[in-house]
Amino acid sequence: MESHRQLEDQAAAFLARRDGDDWTDANQAELEQWLTGSTARRVAFLRLEAAWDEARRLKALGAGLLPGSVPPPGEWRHTPFFDSETDLRRPSDALGEPLNPTRPVQRRSTGVRTAQRVRFLTLAAAVLLALGIGAYFTSSPKGDRYSTPIGGIETVPLRDGSNITLNTATQVRIELTPTERHIRLDEGEAFFEVAHDPNRPFVVQVGTKRVIAVGTKFSVRRDGDDIRVTVMEGKVRVETAATGGGQGSNRVAATHKSVAGAEMPEFTRVSSPGEALLIAGSVASVGDEGMVIEQKPLAEAQDDLSWRQGYLTFHDTSLADAVAEFNRYNTHQIVIEDPAVAAIRISGNFRALNYAAFVRVLGDGFAIHARTSDDTTTLMK
Amino acid sequence: MDDSLDTWFKHEILVHEASLVRYLLRTWPNRQEVYDLRQDTYVRVYEAAEKSRPQSPKSFLFATARNLMADHIRRRRIVAIDAVGDLDALNVLIDTISSEHRASGQEELRRLAEAIDHLPPKCREAVWMRRVDDMPQKEVATRLGISQKTVEKHVMKGMKLLAAAMFRSDEGNTGEDEVREADKKEKKRGKP
Repeated sequence: MESHRQLEDQAAAFLARRDGDDWTDANQAELEQWLTGSTARRVAFLRLEAAWDEARRLKALGAGLLPGSVPPPGEWRHTPFFDSETDLRRPSDALGEPLNPTRPVQRRSTGVRTAQRVRFLTLAAAVLLALGIGAYFTSSPKGDRYSTPIGGIETVPLRDGSNITLNTATQVRIELTPTERHIRLDEGEAFFEVAHDPNRPFVVQVGTKRVIAVGTKFSVRRDGDDIRVTVMEGKVRVETAATGGGQGSNRVAATHKSVAGAEMPEFTRVSSPGEALLIAGSVASVGDEGMVIEQKPLAEAQDDLSWRQGYLTFHDTSLADAVAEFNRYNTHQIVIEDPAVAAIRISGNFRALNYAAFVRVLGDGFAIHARTSDDTTTLMK
Repeated sequence: MDDSLDTWFKHEILVHEASLVRYLLRTWPNRQEVYDLRQDTYVRVYEAAEKSRPQSPKSFLFATARNLMADHIRRRRIVAIDAVGDLDALNVLIDTISSEHRASGQEELRRLAEAIDHLPPKCREAVWMRRVDDMPQKEVATRLGISQKTVEKHVMKGMKLLAAAMFRSDEGNTGEDEVREADKKEKKRGKP
C-alpha cells in the first residue's frame, strides 16, 4: 500500500512533467497506465490537478506586469482585490460591480490611496478597540453572565465542551449543573454548538420558551418575547408554556405529528402551549400564540448564521428589513423616510459592521441617496 | 477514463477537504495517520461513485470516513476511547457551517495569494512564471539560472504546498507543516 505522501510525490512529478515543455504521447500513455493502477493514485492526482488548475487564477494578480517580473510577497495587499486584508472589506459586491478578474492591478496610482487606507485602517482599529469587542463577563451564584456590545461577536467555550457564540448586543446567563446545562438568553442572538451528553440536556430558556438539545448545533434569536430557532444539525425540541415554563411544568404531549417525518410540509403550525421537534434545516418562529416551523434546505438555513463570519446575507429581502439588521450591529443607525425605498428588495452579502459600504452600494445600484450625520444615515430617492 | 466522474469528484468531494481533515483530526487519536485516512476515504468514495453517484456527496463522504475509522478500530483491536465516543456522535461533528459553501472568488484569490507568498522564494518565482506568465520551462530555467529539472522540482513542490494551503482548514493544521515535516523526514533519511 502506497502512503499518501508517496502517491502525492508521484502525482506531482507527473503533473509537473505534463506541464513542462516536452510531454510526449508516450508520457501520456505512461501517466494513464499509472492512473489505472489504483484509485488511490487517481484521487491523489485529481487533488493536485484541481489545486494546480486553480492556481491559474493568480493571473488576475499578474495582469499588467511584464512577464518574468515576479512581484514581492504581500504586494497584493494594496491592490483593489485585497481591501479584504482587514475585516473592513467591502461587501462581496453582490449589488455593485462584480469583481472583474481581468482588471489590471493598478500599481502606480495607489501611492496616495495606500496612505489613506493605512490611516483609515488605523482609525478603524481604534474604533473597534473603543467598542470593546469581546464578551463582557461577570459571575454570580445565579450563573455566569456573558454579554457582547453592539457590533460584537464572541465565542464562549463551556466546561462541558460546548460552545456558545454570542452575536451583537447579546446577554446570556449560563448555569451548568450535574443534571442540566441551562442557558438563559436575556437578550440578542446566540449560536450553540452542543457537546453530546444524553444525561445532561442543554436547555436554552427565553422567557417561558425552552429550546432543548442533547448534542447538536442551532441558534436562538430573541426579539422581545418572540424567538427564532434555526437548527443546523441534530434535533432540538422547542417548548412553549402558557405560564411558568420551569422544569416542573406540564409538557403538553405532542400537539401535532412529529415534524421529523419524511414527507414534511413546508410549513407547520403549532399552537401554544405546545412543543415541536425541529430537525436540521428547520427554522421556527415562536411567539406567545404558538410557532410556525419552516423547513428549509440547509444551505438556506445557513444564511441565518452568516453573522458568525461577520456577514449579513439577504435574499430578496425588503430594504426595511435589511436596514433593521444593520441597525442591530451598529450604533450608527440607518433610517428610511420614503416607503417606496423601504419596499425595494435586495440580495447580497454584506459585512455587518460596514454599513457605509452598504449605503454606497445602494447609491450605486439603486440610485438611493443618503444624508449622513454623525449618528444616522437617512435614505431617500 | 471517466472525465465526468473526475469532475464530479473535484467539485463535490474535494471541496470538503478542510471539513474532512478537521473531522479526522478531531476523531482519530493518531495525527500521523490522518492523511492516509483521508486518502483511503477518497478511494472508497471514488470507487463507490464509479458504480453509482451518492445523492448527497458530503454526507456520503463523512459516513465513509466514519466507517473507515470503525473498520480500523475493529481490525486493530486497539480501542481508542476518544475515537469511539466521537464516532457515535458523528452527526455532531460534521461541520456544516464552515468551508463547504464555496468561498467567493475574491476569497479564493486571497487564499491563493497567501499560499503563493508562503512558498520558498525560488519555488515561488518558478511557480509564478510557469502559472501566471505561461513562460516555457526552459526560459524559466534560464532566468532563474537553474536547470530545467530543478524548475520541475520547484513546480512539484509548489503544487503540493498550494494544494495543502488551498484545501486546508482554517483552524490549526496549515497543511504546510505536513509537507515540511515530510521534507525533514526525507532529509534525515538521506537523499534517495
